[in-house]
Amino acid sequence: MKPIVTLKEVTKIYEGKVMHRALNQLTFEALEGEFVAVMGPSGSGKTTLLNLISSIDIPTYGRVLIDNVEPEKLSENNLALFRRSSLGFVFQEINLLNMLTVEENIVLPLTLDGYSIEEMEQRVSLLSNRLGISKILDKRPDELSGGQAQRTAIGRALVHKPKIILADEPTGNLDSASAKDVLELLSEVNKTDRTTIIMVTHDPIAASYCDRVVFIKDGEFFNEIYKDERRQTFFQRILNVLSLLGGHSNDFSSVRLP
Amino acid sequence: MTFRQFAYRNVVRNRRIYAAFFMASVFSVMVFFLYSMLLFHPTIEDRFIQEIAIIGMGIAEIILFVFTAFFLFYSMRAFLQARSKEFGILLHLGMEKRQINRLIFIETLLIGITSIGIGIILGFTFSKFFFMIVKEIVLLPALPLYLSWKPFVLTIGAFLSLFIVISLIAPVFIKSGKIADLMRGDGNEKELYVYSKAKGYIGIIFLGVSYVMAASTSNSIVLVLLYFLPPLATIGTFYFFTDSVPMFLHKLRSSRRIYWRNFRLLSISEGIVRLRENARMFFIVTIVSTVAFMSVGILASLASFASQYREMNPLGLIYISYEGNELEEEHTSMLNRELEERDIQFSRKQIPVLEQRSTYSGSSVDIISVSDINELASEFDYLSIQLNKGQAIFLPPSPSSYESLNNRTVKTTLQNSDLSITIDGAYPYQLFASYSISTNAIILNDEDFSTVLAKGTMNEAPSFTYYAYYIPEWQKTKDIGLSINDTINDTFITGVSSSLPYSFDNPGLNYSIIRTTFSLLLFIGLLLAAVFLLAAGSFIYFRLYTRLEQDKKQFDVLKRLGLTDPEFKKIVNRQLIPQFFFPWGVAMLHSSFAFLSLQVVWDALAEISIVKELVLVLIGFTVLQIGYFYLIRWRYLAHIKAPS
Repeated sequence: MKPIVTLKEVTKIYEGKVMHRALNQLTFEALEGEFVAVMGPSGSGKTTLLNLISSIDIPTYGRVLIDNVEPEKLSENNLALFRRSSLGFVFQEINLLNMLTVEENIVLPLTLDGYSIEEMEQRVSLLSNRLGISKILDKRPDELSGGQAQRTAIGRALVHKPKIILADEPTGNLDSASAKDVLELLSEVNKTDRTTIIMVTHDPIAASYCDRVVFIKDGEFFNEIYKDERRQTFFQRILNVLSLLGGHSNDFSSVRLP
Repeated sequence: MTFRQFAYRNVVRNRRIYAAFFMASVFSVMVFFLYSMLLFHPTIEDRFIQEIAIIGMGIAEIILFVFTAFFLFYSMRAFLQARSKEFGILLHLGMEKRQINRLIFIETLLIGITSIGIGIILGFTFSKFFFMIVKEIVLLPALPLYLSWKPFVLTIGAFLSLFIVISLIAPVFIKSGKIADLMRGDGNEKELYVYSKAKGYIGIIFLGVSYVMAASTSNSIVLVLLYFLPPLATIGTFYFFTDSVPMFLHKLRSSRRIYWRNFRLLSISEGIVRLRENARMFFIVTIVSTVAFMSVGILASLASFASQYREMNPLGLIYISYEGNELEEEHTSMLNRELEERDIQFSRKQIPVLEQRSTYSGSSVDIISVSDINELASEFDYLSIQLNKGQAIFLPPSPSSYESLNNRTVKTTLQNSDLSITIDGAYPYQLFASYSISTNAIILNDEDFSTVLAKGTMNEAPSFTYYAYYIPEWQKTKDIGLSINDTINDTFITGVSSSLPYSFDNPGLNYSIIRTTFSLLLFIGLLLAAVFLLAAGSFIYFRLYTRLEQDKKQFDVLKRLGLTDPEFKKIVNRQLIPQFFFPWGVAMLHSSFAFLSLQVVWDALAEISIVKELVLVLIGFTVLQIGYFYLIRWRYLAHIKAPS
């Protein structure tokens, strides 16, 4: 399998009143069809990493290559079009647009690209069945439970069949049952569609659903581990690395044994 | 940090939110102060124009005050509701409700006092300039800047009491719900998607009915409509914004062909929320703008009345002397002397007018000789006319009566002189002021005229002499013949004017009074409209500002989803343009229809068309509004794109 996301010796420095080095010579790779988790304590640069892959931020030094495209070399406009076609996003705050119904939220990326209405309707009905939200299509986001809302957001991320899905703490605001739901959904999508998923998380349980977990600390690569036969032991190994990382205890706030 | 310091810092650090609100208050204080400066000006007293100026300014002050009160109440409410999260936190931290009230009181008073202070300083700075404009318009001797406590006391008193009342009432506006509700913020989003179909139809029907009635009005029912239509249209407008528009947009939403296209999905759904959220404000802005358009339009049309004044009054001065006027010689030589003293060029024609009874109509008819007419006409460079013996033409009393008189032929005998004549056609030029001769006047051949003159002396009906002063610079005559005017005015008061053996008319003076009155009223009206404009814009800015955080977040999501910059700009345009121009469009439609019905009254009144003035006024307002739109869009885009 060939890599679809490549970061080579990437450094990101935020200039401002206080200069802040968010990433320092980090090298990162995700293969096609891989489900990768990025973990690290607060302030380790996880979100910066995700922003670089999202192409909404460019590195100070180093190269970023996403699906053979170098975001730095694209114009603002083409970058937007690139994001629109190749990337899908799932956020912690879910960020559904409140004035749109569930269905409209899902088709939003398609309307921007001028798909035909038949095509859009077909995709929505397929997706909503798969995500189990076909009964709530006419509801508004503020009428949904957290799990339903996040599934809708995943629907929005999937509807244009992106190659890469970027998830920022997708289970951060959910109760454990909904979180389990969402994670199983993501790994199912990863397996059947061969969609690459890169997920930033604090939660070792969430990370244990992935193929590989990359740990970063203070903007630098710290460690990585691959999954094994049993999720239980993978989870245990993730906990071991986290304790090595030496963050504060509240970084493990949501440790629950399955 | 004391409590007062806390309140002070709250205001100073939130200055961007307060900016528009503050600006509008400062501006209305300033205009109010300017008006009162003029109101109390010591050199303006006991003169006719000044009376109108003072009444106009007084009314403008009242309107301004009422509007400002309304504006402040409304923005205060919206403002406090937008800050409910902050109050939630304060209550959570253990602040008492009483203390919050005090906090609001201090904050409001702080803004109030600052804006009164700045408004008065600005007002005083600009008052000399303001006086210069007023002086130009009113044609007064220079208005010196003066210092008196009166305008200061009036302005400070009026606005300070307003701000105190508002800051005392304001805490009521905070939703007295639970802390948790307050902290969750605005809430009540559901309300935004609800509308009543019945009310929606009522809105459309009411507006439709008022439009149709306004367009099809006629002279006989226009007075009834004057009482009936405004309330109907007002109610219709209210429901139109709160229910009809959402109803229409929801209909649009159900058609996927239209709705699911490009960023329409975003702009229409966003539009629904924004329109619903601001429906009441749109209603207010629409009504206020309609009133502003109407008043400015009416005033402008009055100004155009003045410009057509010359057409109706071609002569510079008119002195009419009836039989038995002992003062004739004295008056006319005095007029000549006064004109010469002021270096005003003029030529005087002495036109004898005879009066006879016509057998055809049985009423009296005024007679002028053709050579007198031709002589006067040559001053205007009009062609002279020829009349044969026994032939006559009508002298139309006003330009509009020419048409009907020109097509008439009358054979008649002048009773007193037994002269048979044929009156055929009318004189084509307007030499005399309208109705200054009489409604029934004819021009005779010179020979016939002398026949009438010879025999008419026996007749008991008095003939008169018409002194026509042709003055090219007719606007300069406003100080001529004031003493004659005074005598006439005195007899008006004692009620013996009809027995005076002479009359005097000075169109230059009358014109200057009419013109200054109207331009002054127009000026006052425009200033008021400018305040309204600023206030309406600041409502919109304020609304945008309170939603800024939310919009920023949304912008961030859309950016990640791959919305390009031009697309984003288009979406912003489609959000802002309706907010700016929708209420204005409705207001324009309202006032256009109102003018359509007014035109009925107006046409009958003064024979002038107000279309041109109206179009000018509407264009002027639109240009201003477009400028304001770009200013606010620029600020909004800058804010929303700024990194948080």
